[in-house]
Amino acid sequence: MSLNAEQTGSSDLVSRVPSGPVAEMWDKHKFDLKLIAPTNKRKFTIIVVGTGLAGASAAASLAEQGYNVHAVTIHDSPRRAHSIAAQGGINAAKNYQNDGDSIHRLFYDTVKGGDFRSREANVYRLAQCSTSIIDQCVAQGVPFAREYGGTLANRTFGGVQVSRTFYARGQTGQQLLLGAYGSLMRQVGLGKVTLHSRREMLDVVTVDGVCRGIVMRNLVTGAIESLAGHAVLLCTGGYGNAYYLSTNAKGCNVTAAWRAHRRGAYFANPCFTQIHPTCIPVTGDHQSKLTLMSESLRNDGRVWVPKTPGDKRAPNTIPEADRDYYLENKYKGFGNMVPRDVASRNAKQQCDAGRGVGTSGKAVYLDFAEAIKRLGQKTIEEKYGNLFHMYHKITDEDPYQVPMRIYPAIHYTMGGLWVDYNLQSTLKGLFVLGEANFSDHGANRLGASALMQGLADGYFVVPYTVADHLATSKLPPVTTDSREFKAAVEEASFRTKQLLGIQGRRSADSFHRELGHTMWDYCGMSRNAAGLEKAIGKIRELRAEFWTNVKVLGHDHELNQNLEYAGRVADFLEFGELLATDALTRNESCGGHFREEFQEDGEALRDDANFCHVAAWQFQGDNKPSVLHKEPLTFDEVHLTKRSYRE
Amino acid sequence: MNWVRQTLLRNWLVRAISTTIGQKLVMGATGLLLCGFLVAHLAGNLLIFQGTEHYNRYAKMLHENELLPVAEAGLLVLFVLHILLSFTTASANTAARPIGYYGKHSKLSGGTFVHAHNYMFLTGVLVLGFTLLHLSDMRFAHLNLRLKYDSTLDPAAHALHVLHDPISAPVYLLGSLVLGFHVSHGFQSAFKSLGLNHPKYTPFLSKLSILFGIAIGLGFASMPFWYYFAGH
Amino acid sequence: MSAMLDLTLKIWRQDGPKTRGAFKTYHLKGISTEMSFLEMLDILNEQLIQLGEEPVAFDHDCREGICGMCSLMINGQAHGPETKTTTCQLHMRRFHNHDTIVIEPWRARAFPVIRDLVVDRTAFDRIQAVGGFVSINVGNAPDGNSVPVPKVNADKALDAAVCIGCGACVAACKNASATLFVGAKVSQFALLPQGQAERVQRVQKMVAQMDKEGFGSCTNTSECEAACPAGISVEMISRMNLEFLKATVVGAT
Ligand SMILES: Cc1cc2nc3c(=O)[nH]c(=O)nc-3n(C[C@H](O)[C@H](O)[C@H](O)COP(=O)(O)OP(=O)(O)OC[C@H]3O[C@@H](n4cnc5c(N)ncnc54)[C@H](O)[C@@H]3O)c2cc1C
Ligand code: FES
Repeated sequence: MSLNAEQTGSSDLVSRVPSGPVAEMWDKHKFDLKLIAPTNKRKFTIIVVGTGLAGASAAASLAEQGYNVHAVTIHDSPRRAHSIAAQGGINAAKNYQNDGDSIHRLFYDTVKGGDFRSREANVYRLAQCSTSIIDQCVAQGVPFAREYGGTLANRTFGGVQVSRTFYARGQTGQQLLLGAYGSLMRQVGLGKVTLHSRREMLDVVTVDGVCRGIVMRNLVTGAIESLAGHAVLLCTGGYGNAYYLSTNAKGCNVTAAWRAHRRGAYFANPCFTQIHPTCIPVTGDHQSKLTLMSESLRNDGRVWVPKTPGDKRAPNTIPEADRDYYLENKYKGFGNMVPRDVASRNAKQQCDAGRGVGTSGKAVYLDFAEAIKRLGQKTIEEKYGNLFHMYHKITDEDPYQVPMRIYPAIHYTMGGLWVDYNLQSTLKGLFVLGEANFSDHGANRLGASALMQGLADGYFVVPYTVADHLATSKLPPVTTDSREFKAAVEEASFRTKQLLGIQGRRSADSFHRELGHTMWDYCGMSRNAAGLEKAIGKIRELRAEFWTNVKVLGHDHELNQNLEYAGRVADFLEFGELLATDALTRNESCGGHFREEFQEDGEALRDDANFCHVAAWQFQGDNKPSVLHKEPLTFDEVHLTKRSYRE
Repeated sequence: MNWVRQTLLRNWLVRAISTTIGQKLVMGATGLLLCGFLVAHLAGNLLIFQGTEHYNRYAKMLHENELLPVAEAGLLVLFVLHILLSFTTASANTAARPIGYYGKHSKLSGGTFVHAHNYMFLTGVLVLGFTLLHLSDMRFAHLNLRLKYDSTLDPAAHALHVLHDPISAPVYLLGSLVLGFHVSHGFQSAFKSLGLNHPKYTPFLSKLSILFGIAIGLGFASMPFWYYFAGH
Repeated sequence: MSAMLDLTLKIWRQDGPKTRGAFKTYHLKGISTEMSFLEMLDILNEQLIQLGEEPVAFDHDCREGICGMCSLMINGQAHGPETKTTTCQLHMRRFHNHDTIVIEPWRARAFPVIRDLVVDRTAFDRIQAVGGFVSINVGNAPDGNSVPVPKVNADKALDAAVCIGCGACVAACKNASATLFVGAKVSQFALLPQGQAERVQRVQKMVAQMDKEGFGSCTNTSECEAACPAGISVEMISRMNLEFLKATVVGAT
């Protein structure tokens, strides 16, 4: 496939995908990219916002090469980024299991898993980089699971038929992040990275049309500060918290991405959100977040519901004959390991048909009895001990004794800021990495590939592509004393004061909850045009109310968590409308985006004739409709077919 | 002053010993050696139950040994190091938490049980007091510090004289028990400080440590108890 | 199943790093036993906002026990009464109707209070920055399977590496010692072949930095192990001591 300037529908969207066979593109492109001589690197300053897998790996690699790096995070320590919570594992096409895996197969699985809404070239590169990621992490001392012979162990994730997932018990993200964090802190110790913790990015600053810095709030002192440099990397994670309840950490936000969007970075496919099938169900209206039970559990856990609706017997007393292992029955080849969107949709269908379990009826069973019988409790404990522990803590039920109750929840966002093959956004000089960009997962992400993408972006892609930007762009010296920086700082302070000045009656949290309900009800697991229109109306009203009725206490010159939160909610209220608009505009079902109007046997029905494109939205101003740009997608290697997991 | 410090710190050993871990290593090593001394000392003293002549023969042998001053000097160094470090670490540890908690509760199993580890400094200070009294009674008796010294008494008679003193005897009894309590944690803690903590050995060492503490405590206490309180 | 609790909370309030703090008492009614401890604090904060009082500042993020952001001394116990549990995983079913709950920040010279229950734990980052890594630049790594690691060692290294950096060990230790935290990192790399090249310097540098930050020293009380939500064993401390001893004996002058 080739997608260059001439072929994109809009002259704005230059995807910079190299020409030639997909397997050779990245090597060729790396050769074509301009380099910066080793001794010149120290003359450049790069600002990395976010220290998750994407940010920490990028900051560390760039510093290792000799650039001066600023690393910015809202947390007190880079190690707390939400990547730490990833449980299940990371994919790599190592084929250590000799089970037929290859770079091409990982590429194929990911394109198909994404329901043909990602760029082939990007996905291929991701698969290529995957093997080096594992090598790098092992060298850093990441204690991956091992076999008795001392070699690396693997497990399987949904939507694939090989074992290519590397893991460290149920805390792979933690171990990978701590590895990247170690590399980052080493550079901090060496003086190549300046760490700015407890800082929230509030704006990007452009000078002569090129992104040259950021504005941030010092969360401890409240001071509005700024940083100037030669390139800015946004690695600020996903926007799942637009739904209020999600598996994301409470601090995850769209603020950084949204403020960059307002300055000219296009937002791509915001409606592609992933609903994870195995989360602990909601238990009341006090709930502040949802907890994921890793997909890896489906390696051994079997999903079922009682055959008869309303069967209230205790799960262990329901005989085999009265159980419906609906995934195993419907998807013979993949069984419980179907991709997330499929598993989620099926769980919803079962619950809608009245066969849901638990007090709310909004849950299905994930049962380990058979696996415990087959492998013994000890083996199960070794594989998933911390997840079982977590489940027990939250629900007060012992999953070794009774099946887990699980239900789908918002988990990941495939959409994000639009980037070209170099991971550069439409705002020159602004690169976007990790979950914050839209790049590699199309309409549905396969398990264990977000960690892979974050690290590929940071360790192996951006060090090359940033160099090209630095080498080929005009970057006159700028300081934070310049007019542009002062104006941006001024604007950010003004907004902060504005929030404090409203003195209304409702807390930021109540607005966020209400937004979340709207998003989940109308823009969640299944969507339809009427509902989406309703949602857009509701969000607009809520946003208007927010700016007249929110109550934020305290001052701007101190640690003020309520003020931080209000700012993030304000951005979600703007962003939510764009998400719903995108969902309304995409008149097809694909991956995680399920439009009720477009289905066949309860499975998603794509419309390749009209929607085989990336939808990239351009901001036009407050309360003005955004403009849609389309980047057409072509599939030369993996042919566009109906995505089916039934055989 | 700072200059002296800097110069000293250039030496690798000084540098190592001036870290908290280095100090713990020294603390553990001296503690363990002192435990060894306790065993020998107790074994010698218990001879008194066998009869005064056994005790006197042991004392004679000890005093005639030419290496005694060397051993005494070594012992002194051990004591001084152990005590000095306990004071420096205790003060550093207090400084590490300038504002205390409203109320703190242990999460260890048997949480309210009296854990010896919580009283190491206090019991250490008490043991020090006991030791000073003991030294003035025995090693430096000829200086007439408190008790009147009678040079005609043989070692056993002198010991019995001390054990019948209404001040020394109760102090010895309590001091011995406190000492036992102190070493019941100290013995196993020393191994941990020196780097030996292994699921195979540690549970055994922990139990041994308690037995050791009981043996030391009761062993030393048996003498004042028998001669003073039981009236023999 | 779910029941409702009325509670009295005694919470440490402090406006800023330099101001003096004090306990303040609040009464909360109708707290469901299904709630998590932090959700209970959320409710308190919502009520405070309605009353026009500034909400209580506390650190939290993932709310599933992995990020290490949450803290809190709850009734004198780090992360509350349960073992192997973070505050965010603690649920109200653990408490009784009419309980009084005292909530304090971590207390240590090396963890100064920023506001209310929020403390500054960047001392841990500075310790990491001097040695908590393997010095390997991207691009130099050999194949992941080129060096076999015995499963036992990999598992043990992971037992050390699961530390979430929350600081409960420091908070629970009567000496405010950080040796469990540092011991865990030193152990992880000491157990893996990848960590061997820097083994000697690593322990020396990390210990030196730990001392510089003003943490106390270990007196082997094992309170840290009991408080650690990640279940890290005090064996790590002994291993560090041994590593330090070896480094002192064989290391450079
Ligand atoms: C519970 C859970 C389990 C998962 N399990 C897996 C798995 O098994 N395998 C897999 O591949 N993927 C998994 N994922 C997905 C994966 O973890 C994430 O997509 C990935 O880690 C995101 O990394 P990131 O670096 O892009 O962002 P993050 O790790 O979210 O980092 C964002 C960073 O940006 C900073 N930041 C955010 N906003 C601002 C701002 N305004 N100003 C300054 N800094 C800011 C934050 O402080 C943080 O440092 C899981 C996700 C969740 C939620
Ligand atoms: S909030 Fe992340 S560990 Fe508690």
